[in-house]
Amino acid sequence: MRLRLKFAWLLALALASGAAPALAHGVTVEHRQVSSVELQARFDTDEPMANAQVLVYAPGNPTDVWQQGTTDDQGRFSFTPDSSQPGTWEIMVRQAGHGVLTTIPVADSTSGGEPTATPVTVADTGANSLISPSAALSPVQRGITIGSVIWGFIGTALFFARGKH
Amino acid sequence: MHIPDGILPAQVCAAGYAITGLATWYSLRQINRRPDPAAEVPKASLLTAAFFVASSIYIPVPPASVHLILNGLLGVVLGHFAFPAILIGLFFQALVIGHGGITTLGVNASMMGIPALLAYHIFQLRNSVGKPLAEPTRTGVFAFLGGALGLGIAALIFLGLIIFNIPAELDAGAEQTAVLALSLSHVPLAIVEGIFTAMLVLFLRRVKPELLEG
Repeated sequence: MRLRLKFAWLLALALASGAAPALAHGVTVEHRQVSSVELQARFDTDEPMANAQVLVYAPGNPTDVWQQGTTDDQGRFSFTPDSSQPGTWEIMVRQAGHGVLTTIPVADSTSGGEPTATPVTVADTGANSLISPSAALSPVQRGITIGSVIWGFIGTALFFARGKH
Repeated sequence: MHIPDGILPAQVCAAGYAITGLATWYSLRQINRRPDPAAEVPKASLLTAAFFVASSIYIPVPPASVHLILNGLLGVVLGHFAFPAILIGLFFQALVIGHGGITTLGVNASMMGIPALLAYHIFQLRNSVGKPLAEPTRTGVFAFLGGALGLGIAALIFLGLIIFNIPAELDAGAEQTAVLALSLSHVPLAIVEGIFTAMLVLFLRRVKPELLEG
């Protein structure tokens, strides 16, 4: 895997320099540090969402996909947002009809410093971005809520059973 | 197997609500024709609670895990009460557990509720098609068929909905493989739910046979 990646990288360099690959063997590598975003997608059973498809949308352009990829075995995916496009980046993680649309704020880089991206963990794909109260509740609160709903059903049953006599 | 918000286009969600509206109207009209419409409400309410909790019970089917649905069981035991029961159960699942969503409530209710009504009719066939079979076997077999097919048809509708609504940006092949694998993992679940339905129906038949008449 690593070998293949390295090969692809060299090939990309050669193509980018526009030179004929066979004539020049000198290679220069420039580097700079950028901030990237890593996210992890899990099902609400805490199982990682492996090999799910990820679509990244840049701010202000919700129709064109900016970057596309898949999560690894642990449900992780990372990408480097373009620091010249500050704003809210939208990430869609999707697999077999399960999915989540989440937003990641990327700060403006015009202040001169490094662009900062807030790392966000995308969890609880059973829930979704429109309503996800369960993600914010503690297990106790969740248990009480579920218990109350069940008691509501049992109460309804008892009420109608009583009316018969 | 619940479809969350943001997966389906708006037209499909609207169509789901329209179908759910029609099915609810049909079910409530059938219920209203009974001599005592409220008589079955306790049973329906208790099974709605069971349906609500069932989706939190996970069964590991390698490579994934699936959760109980019980829509076929509701159809077999509740008859026309199954559709409103599933609709209410799904509403609370979307709000409390986070399974499904409010925009897709109509789609999910149609996907699970209409197979439940079919399961009821399959179970009713025991009095016509199943005549040659002896009595406890007949009820058990048709309860199994109702419970298993109710879930199986729902899984097929789910498969169709997802496959025909893959956004153009996604890698369609990978998504199809994933959704197909998920649907296949519902085959053992359908058998489990069918056996469970048959056990419950045979139990009810022994202790309270009048509950199965409706």
